[in-house]
Amino acid sequence: MSAAMQNFAARPEAAEGPVVAVRDLRAWYRLRLFGVDREVKAVDGITFEVRRDEIYGLAGESSSGKSTLVKTIAGAIKPPLEIVDGEIKFSFMPGTKGLSRAPPEIAARVRWRHLSYVMQGSMSVLNPVRRVGASFVDFAARHMGLDKAGFEAAVIAHLARVNLPGSVLMAYPHELSGGMRQRVAIALATICRPDFVIADEPTTALDVVVQKDVLGMFRSIQREMGSSVLFVTHDMGVHAHLTDRLGIMYAGRLVEEARTPDLFARPRHPYTRHLIHSLPSIGDDKPRIGLEGSPPSLASPPSGCRFHPRCAFAAERCRVEVPPMESVGPDHRVACFEKDRVEVTP
Amino acid sequence: MRVYARYAAGRFLQFLLVVFIGINLAYVITHATPIDPVEHTVSVATAFGQTAPDAIESMRQSLRELYGLTGSPIEQYVNFWRRVIVADFGPSLSAFPTPVSSLIGRATPWTVGLLGVATLITWVIGNSLGGLAGYYRRSRTLKAFGILAMALHPMPYYIAAIVLLIVFGFVWPILPISGGSQMNVPRGWSADYMLSVARHSVLPMLSLILVGLGGWFVGMRSLVSNIVTEDYVTYAELAGVNKTRILTTYVMRNAIVPQVTGLAISLGHIFSGALITERVFGYPGIGSLLVDGVHAGDYSLVLGVTTISILGVSIAVLVIDLIYPLLDPRVTVG
Repeated sequence: MSAAMQNFAARPEAAEGPVVAVRDLRAWYRLRLFGVDREVKAVDGITFEVRRDEIYGLAGESSSGKSTLVKTIAGAIKPPLEIVDGEIKFSFMPGTKGLSRAPPEIAARVRWRHLSYVMQGSMSVLNPVRRVGASFVDFAARHMGLDKAGFEAAVIAHLARVNLPGSVLMAYPHELSGGMRQRVAIALATICRPDFVIADEPTTALDVVVQKDVLGMFRSIQREMGSSVLFVTHDMGVHAHLTDRLGIMYAGRLVEEARTPDLFARPRHPYTRHLIHSLPSIGDDKPRIGLEGSPPSLASPPSGCRFHPRCAFAAERCRVEVPPMESVGPDHRVACFEKDRVEVTP
Repeated sequence: MRVYARYAAGRFLQFLLVVFIGINLAYVITHATPIDPVEHTVSVATAFGQTAPDAIESMRQSLRELYGLTGSPIEQYVNFWRRVIVADFGPSLSAFPTPVSSLIGRATPWTVGLLGVATLITWVIGNSLGGLAGYYRRSRTLKAFGILAMALHPMPYYIAAIVLLIVFGFVWPILPISGGSQMNVPRGWSADYMLSVARHSVLPMLSLILVGLGGWFVGMRSLVSNIVTEDYVTYAELAGVNKTRILTTYVMRNAIVPQVTGLAISLGHIFSGALITERVFGYPGIGSLLVDGVHAGDYSLVLGVTTISILGVSIAVLVIDLIYPLLDPRVTVG
């Protein structure tokens, strides 16, 4: 442990390489009800990395395992969820394998200083009986090493970045509007200039006008701080607007990953194609083609490629074998046996 | 601050209204009883021999004045309020001529002391343990405590009281079974007297705490186990906020708000709750006084006790209402 602590103290700032590297991660919900074991394989063999100074998007429909993946990375693992296999490596925690397996003292020092989190339903993340300023003290003061006045000045300066006056520190959460609360949440997550920010559906509850504002601020803060961001949402429009690279999840697995413009221009996985072709665009009033069937149950997922029951390209092989993630271009990986046939089909 | 002043003013007006209506009801009910206190006193006074008719008449007259029964109904009513404001309820019938106010003054500290302290102790212990049990769901000690508290909770109060009396009064006689203090110890701020009061309060207090604990415990446990799944708690945990701080300022602090309302209501019940406790343990409080007053048809005593109870309950609720916005900042806005 002491070796790990030393490593932690001598943080290799200059080290290149990804901020987070996830390798073959499997996180399952293991339930035991009336003597019957049930395993929900919400994250089942995911490999990806988030590089320095980039916004990595994660897309997928509801119950595709996005939130579970994020929880696992953030170390918010509570039974029945458990990590079955694989590893998570953070550049700022060398020598440890993810937050949930690190010694508690190290985890406590890393949380918020190096890794912060903007939560799904950010509207309710602030303690309703505590002033906003007190939340800032609870979350960030121990990392900043400033005296009371200095800390307050730092917080007010930081709030200005998201266009909030210092007076919100004296307010209770219920006295702020939804957009303001969201901006407070973003300020709270970025005040310590963390290396890595996880944003799980941070703007889903906002209307589109406020959403655009908040996303713009998010982007500019990220640029200024040089943090890396893992941005999760099912809203492909937000991904197109904000992310640098994009990974598509389906039924607990990553099916395609590419630079965002490439992914929108040349999707190689049939599921990604459906996602992108379902987006409306101005002046195009052709009816959209829906996807047959519904997402598979993660407790008993289909064999082989999990998308095959709903896939127009499905061949015999797809029903039996799991397609591996293969590189098909610069920064472009896809898990599909029929990827060449998908590409040439209009 | 102005918002709070308006809120406080509103609550205070409400308090006055409740007290006004309550005391009026007490007035109407006591005046509607078939017992005429004046005739009752006269018959008691003249039961042991001949008295001259004009002497009886003048006695009747002075009694009417003492009880505020002279003049037209409106004058009587106005007179009644004047006397309520100066806390003069006339002489007690059953303890004639001791004034009702001094009887109540003597009994109130016993009741408020015993039941107030018991209610507070029960509330504090029940909520602390319930909160811990909701937060540390796997602790075996707390689970065992929960089962014990739940087993005691549905027991009728008087059964628990009598069992305690039998166990600690007869089977293993280590505690006094009746009264508020030892008879031969002079009253005052002496150590002997204090010790005697404390010893006499152990059994009644224990009975109240044992039966009352379960309700607070279970209520707080379920409140807390709901709150630990709230986003703001999960979020603070993800942020690595100190565990103790999460338990106190994030979990308990939010769970305690409805429990404070419950405390106000149970403090209000001190006067009605006093009845059984004081009967069983022969405690010299308001409850015993009220029961004696009702049996003796002592109408001014009943009126006095009722008025004091109405005031006590209303003040307790008012105080809680006034500190509520400090507990939950969302209250004044609504």
